[in-house]
Amino acid sequence: MSFTAILSGIFEGFGVTATVTLLGMLYAVPFALAFGILQYFTRGWRNMLVTAIIEIWRSTPILVLMFVFYYTLPGLGITLSGITVGAMTLGLHIGAYGSQSVRAALQALDRGQVEAGFALGLKRRQILWSIELPQAFGAMTPTFVNQFIQLVKGTALVSLITLSDMTHRAMEINQLTFDPAGIYSALLIAYVMICYPATIFGRWLEKRTVPQGRGNREL
Amino acid sequence: MNFDLHFAASMLPTVIEAMPVTILVALVACVGASLIGFLLETLRRSNRYLGIFIRFVIDFIRSTPVLVQIYFFYFVLPFYGVTLPALGVGMIGLSIYYSGYLAEVFKAGIDAVPAGQFEAGKALGLKRIDTVIFVIAPQMLRNIAAPMGNYFVSILKSTPYLSVIGVNEMLGASMQVASDTFRYGEPMAIVGITFLLLAVSVAQFVRLLEKRLLLSSRR
Repeated sequence: MSFTAILSGIFEGFGVTATVTLLGMLYAVPFALAFGILQYFTRGWRNMLVTAIIEIWRSTPILVLMFVFYYTLPGLGITLSGITVGAMTLGLHIGAYGSQSVRAALQALDRGQVEAGFALGLKRRQILWSIELPQAFGAMTPTFVNQFIQLVKGTALVSLITLSDMTHRAMEINQLTFDPAGIYSALLIAYVMICYPATIFGRWLEKRTVPQGRGNREL
Repeated sequence: MNFDLHFAASMLPTVIEAMPVTILVALVACVGASLIGFLLETLRRSNRYLGIFIRFVIDFIRSTPVLVQIYFFYFVLPFYGVTLPALGVGMIGLSIYYSGYLAEVFKAGIDAVPAGQFEAGKALGLKRIDTVIFVIAPQMLRNIAAPMGNYFVSILKSTPYLSVIGVNEMLGASMQVASDTFRYGEPMAIVGITFLLLAVSVAQFVRLLEKRLLLSSRR
């Protein structure tokens, strides 16, 4: 099999990879925003509860989470499709990481911004929506791009719960033709083709949002 | 099928028996990834044209899923006559994957060391390599303790990937029991909880270490 034939065979699984990524974003972004803001606002036991939920999603390996949900839920009488389980576990895992960048971005803002809002007679919620979040957004965008790349790469795991994504396609082709060197090189290149542009975009964004002072000295 | 607490409890010894393998893999991968990462970053800075190439290598490593990289090493190396045990392949795979991330961490760490330190080394007549190892690296380590610790926890959480190539770490051992007994729910739940506890305690340990490192840097 020629290299391009292998590559196009692998890209037949792109639909599943893309679907899981997009569905995963639908879980990740609201989770990250909600829990980041909650962690920023709560105090005492509520904060501990929010932190515990985030830590559970962050500290358990994605693969283990995926297997827990894929294999345990049917035993409890809940049947979800593989795509849902994959997108949910990946999305919430990545979202838990994202929540930390949301919280960090909010905490990094100058206290004076909130005080200025109060001085203008705004309510706390109005301050969050119209002053804090828009400013924090710039600081958290590069991290979000990184999380997005992590999500795309994470979708390779759904091949282990038998979804036919790019990785799964590569394994199938390998069983037919047994040319591991060509097939797995093609698979690496397929992922680079998807993720590399995002990496470049993320770096460009970071340069625009993070102030540059030092950099790139020779060593 | 209900969740059987008794069976779940009987899983614990299996998981704990496999814990040393998980920890061994994680430790070796931490050391390996740090060394390769530092080497990559030093090379990147050594020469302009080599630097562009190494930059691409780092991006390539970062743009592909770790699962795919492990498959690549596992299936392609034997094709060229290099047969390693699955454990070794897994350690190499994790080391190389995380070296891409640690190189970025080192980059930020080196950029944060004032340029004068490098010039001082030159003024004292130290060799370049001596300046890097004895002047820059110790100061850099203090800067990057936190992100490095985070990646070490990430490495620990990536060890379950090795179960797909047949390494008997915590997830692999539980999967074996699961496929023998056809009960997946309980083993997965137990391995999830164990991983959660392990990762949280390692993260706490890292945080403690970081605090002490910062204390000692206060003059």
